[in-house]
Amino acid sequence: MSSIETSSAAVGDKPARHPVTVLPALRPLVLWALILTFCVVPFGLVIAISFGQKIEGAAWEWAFTPDNYIRFFVGADWPASTTFLYLNKLWYSLYYAVIASVLAVITAFPFTYFLTRLSRAAQSKWLVFLLATMSLSEVFIVMGWDILLSNRSGLPMLLRETGVTAWLKEVGWFDTLRGWGLANPRDIKFKTSVPATILTMSYLVWPYAVILLYPALSRLDQSTVEAARTMGAGPWTVVRTVVLPSVRMPLIGTLFLLFVFLLGTYVSVTVFADPSKQTLAISVYEAVRGSTLNAPFGAAQAVVLLVTGGICLCLGQILVNRRRTAT
Amino acid sequence: MSIFARLFMGLSAVVLLLPIVVVSAAALNGGRSMLFPPKDPTLSRFAEFFLEEPVWRGAMFNSAIIAIGSAALAVLVAWPLAYGIWKQGGQASKLLAGLGAMPFALPPIVFGVGLGFFWGFGGGLGQIWSGIISHAVLFLALPLVTISIGLQSIDKAHLDAAATMGATEAVTFRTIVLPQMVPYTASGFFFALVLSFNEFIVMFFVSSSAYSTVTLQIFNSLRNGFTPTMAVAAITFILVSVAVFSMVARFGDLPRLMGADQSKS
Repeated sequence: MSSIETSSAAVGDKPARHPVTVLPALRPLVLWALILTFCVVPFGLVIAISFGQKIEGAAWEWAFTPDNYIRFFVGADWPASTTFLYLNKLWYSLYYAVIASVLAVITAFPFTYFLTRLSRAAQSKWLVFLLATMSLSEVFIVMGWDILLSNRSGLPMLLRETGVTAWLKEVGWFDTLRGWGLANPRDIKFKTSVPATILTMSYLVWPYAVILLYPALSRLDQSTVEAARTMGAGPWTVVRTVVLPSVRMPLIGTLFLLFVFLLGTYVSVTVFADPSKQTLAISVYEAVRGSTLNAPFGAAQAVVLLVTGGICLCLGQILVNRRRTAT
Repeated sequence: MSIFARLFMGLSAVVLLLPIVVVSAAALNGGRSMLFPPKDPTLSRFAEFFLEEPVWRGAMFNSAIIAIGSAALAVLVAWPLAYGIWKQGGQASKLLAGLGAMPFALPPIVFGVGLGFFWGFGGGLGQIWSGIISHAVLFLALPLVTISIGLQSIDKAHLDAAATMGATEAVTFRTIVLPQMVPYTASGFFFALVLSFNEFIVMFFVSSSAYSTVTLQIFNSLRNGFTPTMAVAAITFILVSVAVFSMVARFGDLPRLMGADQSKS
């Protein structure tokens, strides 16, 4: 993921030699057939089926009707009545993904900067640790935060035992927390709450953020940083005036990639978000394989998710490309 | 390195480790609930996971088969793709590689739904082999990237020398390209392997409840809550990841694979 940039950079200088090919001339055709069948057709099917219709008894048939999209955007009873139930779910998908990815990038940026200043051997050790946490399945991560935030043995218990909860009640801040949905009548609670959802999602992509920012920060021209330092700039001034401007585009690119990745988060949202504040990924699941069973409608919701993600990826790519042609 | 930098990195490490440590400790619980600190510590959950319960043993077996199979398949497809870009270049092969990386970049739930339909028509729904192909497609981007990075590092002077001495492309490939590419190919394989091991959303739609992998098994019992036996699975998976990536770091240049500046060492 991190090196799409580097791989396309070398495409320009192709070695100009030998008309002889290692493999038969058929190779490109076979590759195109394979990629189109397995990487493109599944997405095509989702789009095609999103125009189909449900028949009673959990099956569906091919059709060409915009009903599923009408239901998504304005409700099934439109124009008699309009509901924004599914737009609301889309809103929560975007809301969680935006905040969590921004949070991850903001905290991962200084970390990555410090990481690239370390020796190569130390970097290697950190990378092993980061890659191991990055590849860790969402189910395990949610399992950990589920314990850490649970009422019986997590943070709420810690706050209660140490007397912080009682103190909060005394000074009256407890009611403020209740207003934010972070406490029940007796105790602080994080399940279910928006902060818990965002925290877990942010944790989920944090190692990705480091890995994605790493190439740009480690290629940072160290001489300009040193020049700024010798001219008397403090560390913060250097970061603000030298480091940040030169990695602005990779920073934005990373943000977009993490955002798209988070659009599909499932487990964190089911475990930590209130049912009324759940996302599109969950209702896609419910419609295709879960309780509501309406494959075409599920497909239509998946298409909305796909289009949202696709637009963001293209935007990110355009920004990164513009930067590359500018330098 | 300033004190602030050390503190910040240390704090980040603590937060990253926190859920992992808690889950690992929860595996010691004697009862069926996930308490921290663990109550009635015991190691019997480990025996349960690895030896006694056929559900977990079967799931572990499926996880391993699918991870190894799909990673190998992904490498096999990624090689000609990456080689094509490197050798011929051009818009067509770039587009092809872009399409190949698409499933990895887009939300997995969408690709999962698509593959569910795809195998429904293709007749592979609920089969292990279709699970292997699905993960190979999903993680194709990883070996594609590592192999491309490797191919770029090959010294063009060696290739020219070989050509001047009359080596055919096949000979050059076998004697110059291939030997240098072993660590990059292996890294791509292991990246795909570890991620396949941990993936469950796509597997959920493709397996159609006919079989399950370890993470899928946990995902399926989500509504009933987590149990200490699942925490044993978590420990196992973390150890596998750490072992695999340590190996990649040991035999390959991890900072370079992750895109660090090559001139600095």
